[in-house]
Amino acid sequence: MTGDLVGAPVHRLEDAALLTGTARFTDDIELPGTVEAAFVRSPHPHALIRSVDSTAARNLAGVHAVFSHADLAPLLTRNLIPPDNPTLKFAESTRAVVLAKDEVCHVGEIVAIVLADSRYVAEDAVALVDVAYEVLPSVSDCRDALAPGAARVHRDAPDNVVATFRAEYGDCGPAFAAAAHVLPLSLRQHRGGGHPIEGRGIVARFDPATEGLTVWSSTQGAHRVRDALVVLYGLDETRVRAITPDVGGGFGSKHIVYPEEVVVAGAALALKRPVKWIEDRREHFLAAIQERDQYWDIEVAADADGRLLGLRGSMVHDQGAYTLLGFNVAHNATLAVPGPYLLPNYRLDVTIAATNRVGTIPVRGAGYPEGTFAMERAMDAIADELGADRAEIRRRNLIPADRIPYELPLKARDGSTTHYESGDFPACMEKALESAGHDRFAERQAAARDAGRYIGMGVANCTKITGRGPFETGIVRIGPSGRITVHTGAMAMGQGIKTAYAQICADQFGVDPGAVKVITGDTGTVPMGIGGFGSRQTVTAGSSIHLASVEVREKALKTAAHMLEVSDRDLDLKDGTISVAGVPDLSVSLADVAKALSGAIGYARPKDMPPGLEASVNFLPTGLTYGNSAHVVEVEVDVGTGGVRITRYLVVNDSGRLINPTIVEGQIVGGVAHGIGNALFEWMGYDDAGQPVTTTFAEYLLPTAPVVPNVEIVHHETPSTVNPLGVKGVGEAGVIPAAAAVMSAIESALAPFGVRIRETPISPPRLVELIGEAKAGS
Amino acid sequence: MTTFRGANCGLGAKPVCSVFTDTGSNATEGSGGVEMRYEAPETMKAAVALLASDEHGRVLAGGTDLLVQLRADTIEPSLVVDIKKIDEMCAITRENGGFRIGAAVTGAELGEHEAFKSVWPGVVEALELIGSTQIQGRATMGGNLCNASPAADSVPAMIAAGAIATIEGPDGRRDVPVGEVATGPGRTSLRAGELVASFLFPEQAPRTGDAYLRFIPRTEMDIAVVGAGVCLTLDDSDVCVAAKVSLGAVAARALAPEAAAKALIGTPVDDAALAELSRAASAAAQPIDDKRGTREFRIQVTGVMARRAAETALARAKGA
Repeated sequence: MTGDLVGAPVHRLEDAALLTGTARFTDDIELPGTVEAAFVRSPHPHALIRSVDSTAARNLAGVHAVFSHADLAPLLTRNLIPPDNPTLKFAESTRAVVLAKDEVCHVGEIVAIVLADSRYVAEDAVALVDVAYEVLPSVSDCRDALAPGAARVHRDAPDNVVATFRAEYGDCGPAFAAAAHVLPLSLRQHRGGGHPIEGRGIVARFDPATEGLTVWSSTQGAHRVRDALVVLYGLDETRVRAITPDVGGGFGSKHIVYPEEVVVAGAALALKRPVKWIEDRREHFLAAIQERDQYWDIEVAADADGRLLGLRGSMVHDQGAYTLLGFNVAHNATLAVPGPYLLPNYRLDVTIAATNRVGTIPVRGAGYPEGTFAMERAMDAIADELGADRAEIRRRNLIPADRIPYELPLKARDGSTTHYESGDFPACMEKALESAGHDRFAERQAAARDAGRYIGMGVANCTKITGRGPFETGIVRIGPSGRITVHTGAMAMGQGIKTAYAQICADQFGVDPGAVKVITGDTGTVPMGIGGFGSRQTVTAGSSIHLASVEVREKALKTAAHMLEVSDRDLDLKDGTISVAGVPDLSVSLADVAKALSGAIGYARPKDMPPGLEASVNFLPTGLTYGNSAHVVEVEVDVGTGGVRITRYLVVNDSGRLINPTIVEGQIVGGVAHGIGNALFEWMGYDDAGQPVTTTFAEYLLPTAPVVPNVEIVHHETPSTVNPLGVKGVGEAGVIPAAAAVMSAIESALAPFGVRIRETPISPPRLVELIGEAKAGS
Repeated sequence: MTTFRGANCGLGAKPVCSVFTDTGSNATEGSGGVEMRYEAPETMKAAVALLASDEHGRVLAGGTDLLVQLRADTIEPSLVVDIKKIDEMCAITRENGGFRIGAAVTGAELGEHEAFKSVWPGVVEALELIGSTQIQGRATMGGNLCNASPAADSVPAMIAAGAIATIEGPDGRRDVPVGEVATGPGRTSLRAGELVASFLFPEQAPRTGDAYLRFIPRTEMDIAVVGAGVCLTLDDSDVCVAAKVSLGAVAARALAPEAAAKALIGTPVDDAALAELSRAASAAAQPIDDKRGTREFRIQVTGVMARRAAETALARAKGA
């Protein structure tokens, strides 16, 4: 590294605009002549569409058009949303459609789009579209979906099994036969949705002069939006540009290409005028992806000392009505189970079931919270069985630091095995326990119980796959203006990643990070891109930007050496100026160098350098890198009401080398807040038919500021060995062990009653019920 | 006069879900756009005349319920009468040693009224639990009462405090105990053309304390799963000589169970009395099962909240 910016707690460059109201979100894109869209959505979990009569809607003043499947089909090359490389064969019936043709399979599925002068008129017109539905039987719960004789989610499917797979290594049979302890656990895990405060939204404009289609979309993958539009409308990729303005959070809910995006773009093509759709909150509850339900039936085997011998069982995963992104959630959940522990034998049989609910894909954490929850519940169950301390049981099972690098024969999606290339899991847990005063907690707990108060401490550990490839481009350009610009296919969605990239780049040129302009999420400036998900962009794009910056720096120095007629070894690059060491007056600016490299007609370029002061790099990761963390939580439970108050939250986190500790801490706190929501509040309810029953924030409770404690963070930096910056991803780190740690703490608080928690979320009524059951059973 | 066009929701006739379905309101049919009149009279008489002239009229005070219901298309009034320009609706005055609070006085204003707050801290803490700081800057006790949600926070506190609602209507003025205004979810005993004008909190007896507590899963920004208001008066030897207990969110309207009050009266509000209060409160609760809490849970928590509210009220009575 050249400078000292990498690792510095630089203030986020994004914040001035966000705090002064000058940021531009998708809804801030205002184009002359724009018509606004509203969608006709299915009110039924499952129905046939007999007819769509939009005459009355079309006749309403201010309405420009109403398009249902029949109207838009001539423009589309096909009515299927491109799936994102699912690794398994899956039921074709669950392929997501652009517009429902004759069957709707979840409440909120789009049937038609209405285009009008304003959203108000459009919504009035939506109510005038007469859709004749024939309601079909539906299935809501994924376990019911697999029962013999269950209603079919898609009328043409033979059953509701989307796919099945097995995660396995070792041999559980003999391990279980020889085990001193075999403990069964039935777990119900629920994760609601992503719920960014800015919902989805898209503005699409077709320009007949250039035959160009430009869309501004609040997405986590501008390139995938562009690619989908190219495929579905048979367009030329050079004529389609997807731009992502400022984004108010994604958390997974903007990770896929949605039918709404495709239909709005189609409407713009058809009407030849700009079209805007901004999602409202109810639409987000109905039609944005969720993560939702998994049901685990597992048993864990341990020896007499509580050391893991094996874990086996089955899991049912709720896929929803459509397969929008393969099987990442279920797959990752199985990968996450061993986590930081020595688990010699493992077998999990997974069934992915279709239901008449909106489709599920990863929300921040992407299955890792579920797999971690399963393992951490197993740890606590073993500790309880042995009457041992919960931390001590974990201590006995954590992978020792001297076993790193450690390889598990468990295959990731790309076929690679799980390879922990760096990290010290026991050190992280010990640091967390020590900081939390775990040694002295039993005394405090006993004193509190004497005073009629129930306090508890929980601990949970996790690992998280990060830095998934295949690549993310980093382009660094310095033009004759001397300004430094970074372009990348990575997506900014509020994380502060532009600041991190600016730091990485600025370090090479001795300039202030604010002097580096970072452009993300624009397919017009970077031809290829993968997107923002899976804690990957600091590793992938960060490394590319670093390598490109180094390349540009070296080229600048070589060119300057030629211009100044000295050796490049004698040059200093500082504040954007290259000068001869010891002779500061002898210097050229980066602007001078860029000007020289931009060429002058009839003159030779400096030293036969290729033109342009710029570099484009695609860093290709050779492997995934794993972050890990240990969370210790202290709670107080009100046994009269089932209320849980988190009184202390401590995180020890290893995300490798930190680019910006402030941003990393922001990511961790945000993740913890999500995890607290998963543990205590967030519940996306459906009735037995599949009708959603929590469609406002009054019903679906997000964690708010008073319920999220001050999160104390200790960094444990073990540099990654698989990328030039030594970084690991952190976007999801905070959420993964949070629910497991909170449940462990609640169980600890309620130890006098023997309450065992096997589900998320846990509401006060449910906790009161569990206390009652535990009292009755004892 | 201003007119608005109502916009309809996007999901056809059947509302998928709404917080208002809890209070029994139904989605309006029709896709139309009803012309709505907005009036802001400056006298009580004019307000009463307007309301008497249109059976589909609605009173607008802070609008924290009304505007949400308009936006959600759960109501489509043809007339909205804004009462905030009527002086007495917005006034806080002393009356015979007590307080008269205009129906359009906001929770935030009352929370900053030191004299009222020192006498009726329980009423103020109930108001300060409604919504957020921003909501409290608009929300009123009159609106909270007349919206007639069973979970209204200020209503049990007012009932416990013995507050009287003064109602104006075409036939003049009448006073009724606050507990008699709401009759069920979204329903009141107000007659055509009537509106609640103010509340009288009569002069408080010495050594009286009140308190309101509610249970919600989070710490704020939610609707009561159970609410309990308690007001009690002690004599010089710390024996409770008067008590009122009111329970919210556990029946179709706020309850004021006599047995719960009797559990305290004549006792030093000791453990035994509090345990009896808790039992009586739970026994009086007739809650529903819904996504906010099961019936069994609400019954248990009713007793817990009543007891804890009584403990706070007791401390205040002793400290007063």
